[in-house]
Amino acid sequence: MELSIFDLSKHLGVVPDTIERWVRQGKLPVSKTGSNYRFRASELQKWASKHNISLNISDKKVPEKKNEAGIPLSHAVQNGGVYYDLLGEDVKSVLNASLERISKIPKDFKPDLLDRLMEREQALSTGIGNGIAIPHPRVPLGYLNEPLVAVCFLENPVDYQAMDQQPVKVLFLILCPDLKFHLHLLSALSFCLRDKSFVQFLNSCPDPGALIEKIDVLQNLNPL
Amino acid sequence: MNYKLLHIFRNTPFGRETFLQSLYFCKTIKAYPVVYIPKSDKFLMYFSNDAVQVDLDHSYLNSPETAKAHAEALFEEAGINPMFYEPKNFTASTLPDVSTNFDYLCCPRSVSDLSSKIGLGHIGPKVRRIIKHATFPVLISSPVFKSWTGISVFFGGSENAVKSLTLGLKIAMASGLPLNLYTLIEKNGEDYYREVVQKRNMESLVDKYVTKWHFYENEAFDTMLYEVPHDSLIVLGAYGHGIIKELLLGSKMEIIQSTVTNNLLIVGPNCTISLQ
Amino acid sequence: MQTIKNIYRAIYYRLFRLDDRLLLIVAGSLAGICSGLAAVALRLSLESVIEWLHPFRHYWWAFVLPAAGALLSSLYLEKVSKEGAGHGVPEVIYAVSRYGGLLRLRSSYSRLISSFLTISSGGSAGPEAPVVMSGSAIGSNIAKFLVLNDRQRITLVGCGTAGAISAIFNAPIAGLVFSIEVLLGEWKFVNIIPIAIAAVAGAQISQAIIPEQVLFNHQPFNTMAADILPCLCLAVLTAFTSVFFTKSLRKIGGFAKKSSLPLWSRAIIGGCLVGVIGIHMPLVLGEGYHFIQTMISGSFSMGLFLTFVAIFAKIFATAMTLGWGGSGGIFAPCLLIGSLTGVAFHKTLFFLLPSAGIASEGAYALLGMTGLISGVMQAPLTGIFLIVEITGGYETILPLILVSSISATMSHYIEPASFYLKDLIEKGQFMRPGTDARILSDLSLNEIIETNYTKVSENMVFRDFIEIIKLSQHNFFPVIEDETQIYKGIIQIRTIRKYALEPGMYDMVFLNQIMDTEVATASLEDDLQDVLDMMDLNNMDSIPVVENGRFVGMIQKTRILDLYRRELIMQTNI
Repeated sequence: MELSIFDLSKHLGVVPDTIERWVRQGKLPVSKTGSNYRFRASELQKWASKHNISLNISDKKVPEKKNEAGIPLSHAVQNGGVYYDLLGEDVKSVLNASLERISKIPKDFKPDLLDRLMEREQALSTGIGNGIAIPHPRVPLGYLNEPLVAVCFLENPVDYQAMDQQPVKVLFLILCPDLKFHLHLLSALSFCLRDKSFVQFLNSCPDPGALIEKIDVLQNLNPL
Repeated sequence: MNYKLLHIFRNTPFGRETFLQSLYFCKTIKAYPVVYIPKSDKFLMYFSNDAVQVDLDHSYLNSPETAKAHAEALFEEAGINPMFYEPKNFTASTLPDVSTNFDYLCCPRSVSDLSSKIGLGHIGPKVRRIIKHATFPVLISSPVFKSWTGISVFFGGSENAVKSLTLGLKIAMASGLPLNLYTLIEKNGEDYYREVVQKRNMESLVDKYVTKWHFYENEAFDTMLYEVPHDSLIVLGAYGHGIIKELLLGSKMEIIQSTVTNNLLIVGPNCTISLQ
Repeated sequence: MQTIKNIYRAIYYRLFRLDDRLLLIVAGSLAGICSGLAAVALRLSLESVIEWLHPFRHYWWAFVLPAAGALLSSLYLEKVSKEGAGHGVPEVIYAVSRYGGLLRLRSSYSRLISSFLTISSGGSAGPEAPVVMSGSAIGSNIAKFLVLNDRQRITLVGCGTAGAISAIFNAPIAGLVFSIEVLLGEWKFVNIIPIAIAAVAGAQISQAIIPEQVLFNHQPFNTMAADILPCLCLAVLTAFTSVFFTKSLRKIGGFAKKSSLPLWSRAIIGGCLVGVIGIHMPLVLGEGYHFIQTMISGSFSMGLFLTFVAIFAKIFATAMTLGWGGSGGIFAPCLLIGSLTGVAFHKTLFFLLPSAGIASEGAYALLGMTGLISGVMQAPLTGIFLIVEITGGYETILPLILVSSISATMSHYIEPASFYLKDLIEKGQFMRPGTDARILSDLSLNEIIETNYTKVSENMVFRDFIEIIKLSQHNFFPVIEDETQIYKGIIQIRTIRKYALEPGMYDMVFLNQIMDTEVATASLEDDLQDVLDMMDLNNMDSIPVVENGRFVGMIQKTRILDLYRRELIMQTNI
């Protein structure tokens, strides 16, 4: 395998100018063809081991940390599903009713998840005002395969101890296997909920297709 | 971009012409002239495989007290921020090292002979050595300041000619002036030259920027030189011939430079030119 | 034809280019031979001209001879070969440490001619520094011809030097040691072999042309345990003498530089003064090998007082010659002053304690030479091996080592920079491989700078800027003028954080109101050393680089550390 100056500069973490200087100073094994320098990987490897230099020419680099774009909100909503006319008169009962409807959660974990959601509600209400709440557990749920956001429209508004004291009509349940998805989804969701028309749109209990489409449009406006 | 041209200032009327040329060149291609006012009659330039000592003739040291003011006045006239180069390192106390980290260098045809002798004479041996080792193109100015409104590239199909074509394109892009290509057909036909360009993936650029590609038969060298517009900047490559070969065969560059009065931009064998 | 070419290429690349040991040995021995020839040529021509001029020494006008020589030599250097002044060794060290040993072709002969003119006419100087200069230039130009890289070129410069020193003294080990200890400053396996071979080649050339075996013949010395104490005293004495010698060289040279006299008149004045001293004390003239020989063989006739005077006369004459326009080295004067010091010491001792059972005067002359060489050059190994080799005897090795190391240590204590390095250290140009100064000078700002910054306009509203911050990974945002793109200032997230958290301000301010315009900036031409100093002074972790009023990028300390480490590994391991 042959490398160019540019390739090698990537592997050694320096700029091409530095490689050129090292070649001029005679510090790298190089073969020159015309006016181009070529480096042979095998020679470089030998040279590096002789001089105790860590050189990783193979492409097995530690994968760069991906930008935490993760999964788009609309996708997560699709995963989680949209549910209508949930019954219940207090926080616990509506949450329980919601969990019952979400099929992606394994049955055995539902009671535990309910406890965790309640724990979170008791610490600080997730009702963010305008009749909307975002219940979620504080720890990641390892048993889920992918993050999901379930949208639940309540039959009767419930007192949720929200910031603006308004009763809550819509729940966005965020359930994630990993914290980084959680943050991303939370921020994407709050971006959408800042949009007044979207809140009004929610009040009309739209059907799933329209809701997901609307979210899709909105999240594309989000620069993040 | 921050292209910089090194100009070695000579505080004489002749030097002024050269400097005006530098200023014009820089203004046209949007580069910055950096002026070095020599304080001793010699300096060293360290290239990657050679140390070239440039011995300046005495006129470079003329009336040092007015040199800076003269240079600044000319800068002001051209509306360019004056910039001066001060050598930081000295090989010996009277022998400063001049950095080679520039994008262009402006030279009169000779730096160590008296200006009266040169007119359109030979390119001095030092200038030649600088060209041979420099990693930047060298602007050889016409004896008297001459503005140019076009670019003529002499394209002979060699590696170096490709570099000069690249440089010509670069200057055409920066200045927006028309670019003409001149080729003297030696052994191969026209297609050969077009193929060379094609191989380097430069076709689209050539189509876009080159106004016309002129071809001449081998004998028509003088005609070609005559037909090159007098008010254009000539860009050409120089070869790293040994001195003996040059004495025996003569070099094209030598004929060109002693025949035409245009400003020459010479691309040496060690130049690296990229289109960025 | 094609196959031959291919075979040639295969051999060339397999043998030479990929593994350069063989190439370096071949080219190194060539450099050794050439520089050896140059050294021998200088030595022979000096000998014959000194012989030829000898009859004229007795005329009253003989004092103008050194003046004429110095005049010619300085005019030659200045007008014909247009070299800079100085004896050249610092120049070689400078070229080795900064430019990978690039030397001009003209250096390979110019110093030979100028020093020939100076020394043959009677100027007090030695031929060694000139041959070092020309030998190293020969090595460098061979490397240039073969298009070698810096590391190989430096080795060849060392080869040329070793060949020259070993040829002029017929002392191969001294050549090897001098070249590595003084010139290259790094003991590396890849260097030592070619340089050793070049040193041997140089010595062989010298032996083939000049058949004599050692420079100074002498009877075997008997040094005993009783000599140890006097040796220690002698070492201290030589250390002081060498410091005095170095200082007076610099003082008198500096005095000449300050005076507004033209070059030629300086050379004449200096030369005449040397000539006048020379008429009364012929010992100061020329390189003085003849007198060293008489001192070593014990037949030196001057009395104690005169010997002391001679030390100072020689020091003064050397300083006048070298500082005022002549050209040459300090090696031979060092040897002469050293042997004079040794003899004077021995005479004093003998005068005070007539019955002391110590070694002969010659042995002390020898020890004095070692002491002075090591003291002036601060290169103890060179001192030891040179004296051992030029006198051809190992019997004094113990006191030699003693004197050499003590003298070098003492003079290093008084004057930390040796004669060759003093100028370089003063200019901040002394850069041995692997030292901080070298790494900083090798790393240019171009290699460290990070350029992918988002430029923002000074007329941008703060709210828009907040949107940019959200998307960006950077902590710095250069602010530029709209039309001219000129750099106006910089915004650091650190300093605007409190405003960024205050939405009420978002529509109230423009960026030119919150940008920092006081931040120090660097330019691409600056040395890294200066930039680091600037950062330390202003307590910054990052500094913007501005060129022609345009923002180019930022220099960050974290990046510097990263590259500094790589560079250190590259310089010390390879």
